Amino acid sequence: MEKDGLGLEITELRLGLPGTEKMMKKRGFTEMIMTSSGSNSDQCESGVVSSGGDVGKVSESPVAKSQVVGWPPVCSYRRKNSCKEVSTTKVGLGYVKVSMDGVPYLRKMDLGSSQGYDDLAFALDKLFGFHGIGVAFKDGDNCEYVTIYEDKDGDWMLAGDVPWGMFIESCKRLRIMKRSDATGFGLQPRGVDE
Amino acid sequence: MNYFPDEVIEHIFDFISSHKDRNSISLVSKSWHKIERCSRKRVFIGNCYAINPERLIQRFPSLRSLTLKGKPHFADFNLVPHEWGGFVHPWIVALAKARVELEELRLKRMVVSDESLELLSRSFASFKSLVLVSCEGFTTDGLASVATNCRHLRELDLQENEIDDHRGQWLNCFPQSSTALTSLNFSCLKGETNLAALERLVARSPNLESLKVNRAVPLDALTRLMSCAPQLVDLGVGSYENEPDQESFMKLMAAIKKCTSLRSLSGFSEVTPLCLTAFYPICQNLTSLNLSYAAEIQGNHLIRFIQFCKRLQRLWILDSIGDKGLEVVASTCKELQELRVFPSDLHDEEDNDTAVTEIGLVAISAGCPKLHSLLYFCKQMTNAALITVAKNCPNFIRFRLCILEPNKPDHTTSQSLDEGFGAIVQACKGLRRLSLSGLLTDKVFLYIGMYAEQLEMLSIAFAGDTDKGMLYVLNGCKKMRKLEIRDSPFGNTALLADVDKYRTMRSLWMSSCEVTLGGCKRLARNAPWLNVEIINENENNDLMMERNEEDEREKVDRLYLYRTVVGARKDAPPCVTIL
Repeated sequence: MEKDGLGLEITELRLGLPGTEKMMKKRGFTEMIMTSSGSNSDQCESGVVSSGGDVGKVSESPVAKSQVVGWPPVCSYRRKNSCKEVSTTKVGLGYVKVSMDGVPYLRKMDLGSSQGYDDLAFALDKLFGFHGIGVAFKDGDNCEYVTIYEDKDGDWMLAGDVPWGMFIESCKRLRIMKRSDATGFGLQPRGVDE
Repeated sequence: MNYFPDEVIEHIFDFISSHKDRNSISLVSKSWHKIERCSRKRVFIGNCYAINPERLIQRFPSLRSLTLKGKPHFADFNLVPHEWGGFVHPWIVALAKARVELEELRLKRMVVSDESLELLSRSFASFKSLVLVSCEGFTTDGLASVATNCRHLRELDLQENEIDDHRGQWLNCFPQSSTALTSLNFSCLKGETNLAALERLVARSPNLESLKVNRAVPLDALTRLMSCAPQLVDLGVGSYENEPDQESFMKLMAAIKKCTSLRSLSGFSEVTPLCLTAFYPICQNLTSLNLSYAAEIQGNHLIRFIQFCKRLQRLWILDSIGDKGLEVVASTCKELQELRVFPSDLHDEEDNDTAVTEIGLVAISAGCPKLHSLLYFCKQMTNAALITVAKNCPNFIRFRLCILEPNKPDHTTSQSLDEGFGAIVQACKGLRRLSLSGLLTDKVFLYIGMYAEQLEMLSIAFAGDTDKGMLYVLNGCKKMRKLEIRDSPFGNTALLADVDKYRTMRSLWMSSCEVTLGGCKRLARNAPWLNVEIINENENNDLMMERNEEDEREKVDRLYLYRTVVGARKDAPPCVTIL
């Protein structure tokens, strides 16, 4: 079932006892990935160990990572108390994290308290004490900063394109970044969203 | 030595404090055994089910200080059911009944009730010190009893416990006459405290050296506390989400400046950058810094702070410090002995490019020659890095590496990390504790068995290929005390190969491995001095016993075995079967 490795084992200097078995497919974690994220059987058959590149693909499934009980081994007290979401009063349904390039700390704001993009612009300006963040929504290309948001699918989109209602429903977090940095960022092009 | 009267020998023994040494003394001869046990004041019990309180008291009638540990380590990671056990109550009952003059009680991972605390507080007139670590089952009412009744209390240290906070007036319960406090830590309490009572208590405790408040103590209260306790050596602060105004900030800084004895700083469950800067004046004196709960602070602020901390010996931090930050630590903290880097992103929401990698670890190893204890959560590692680390730091006593993704290989060569960890165990001849992660085959265990001569505790997860792996460890590591394994393909062959090995070990944990019920039963039969516990979430005792032979082949979900002189415990819940 398991493929041989890169074929280099023969040349490898080993301290293992003669006849030590070749690396077998791992039980446990691989199986967990298979059942939870339904990765295709090809990847699994090549075995976790041997096939360099494939290993990365198989194990990078984010679903699997968080489904393993007690992993990473961080004690439950610490999990409960330092998890970023567990901030006393601030986190509610409408709260998203907002980060701004050049500012060393994250802020949280309640999207639900804004009525629309104008409101949001004003709120962001106030949050960072910086005028002109909001201008980006209207004037687009003239502003030094762009406001982008991460949507439910994990994609980064330019804020201001979609209707407000749709925006607050899918926005997970906000980021205010310098326009010059934004070009290489990999923003989803306009018109991609459904 | 036997020509000296007993009192002289006893006096000589007084100078010997280490538990290991005292245990050794007691084995020399009958008379030494007797003198030793009658004079022994401090006892450490690593597993509360290895012995019972009655036998303990019988052997050590002069007991003053008792340390007890309950649940196995993996209980920290939710692998042990809540109701598993580790109750302190029977111990307190027995100690009270025997009128032991208990002065100090230190508990870890035990279940403590308010009733227990009440009984404790009423039974021991000289009681001085209560230290509870990762315990649960009690409320602030229990603390109130302790505060009220323990007239000579010096130390109340609550670390990472699950305490039901009734927001009562427990701090008020310390009587006016209570002025002996040296250490007060209630950082794990979640609710508000009576600030006035706290301030009065601190003000009348001139010997207070260690104060750790909880997140509900606001900035101005902290300022006042520090002002009336400038002698503090160890301070744990609260949560400061909002930037202080100018005046508050100045007052805080002034109070901090006066605390010239401050050496250790912790808390900071949230702290704004400005707040953090108020502590700059004492940074140069700090030997211990714990910023590992400050999840919102970004790397560059952490770095700026640490740059002032040239005398740090212990640093606990989040991985948001990044490799760059660790490079700064390496060039600043030349006295560093212990480093813990915790993961800031537990839910894997972000593709965290600020998390740490092998680069940070290598930098630390190169810059901090005194490093001997490490706990490092990272997203990737290489053999080359580990080999370099081993060369730079041969003095590791504790080396715990956790690569966040299980089974992850060396990301540059795609090979297993056997060679890297092999280098660590070969170079670090004093290594006592090791935690493995990443892609590992049986070979790493061969290395461990060959080289890790002082290894006492080994944690294995998602590693190994065959029973040979586990056998290398059991056969090679003569000093092994605690072995804990999860999700690894080790089975009955390894488990049963050398039953007598478990006489020299405190405990063995195996979960999601290949051991079967039949194997465990055989072990229990061959080793009646072991408690072999099978833990199943959904089963109960009767159901398990009714199963037919077929099920001997069924894999055991969780196995926990430990040596004991008192046989099967009577307080096991239904989900635990003791074979």
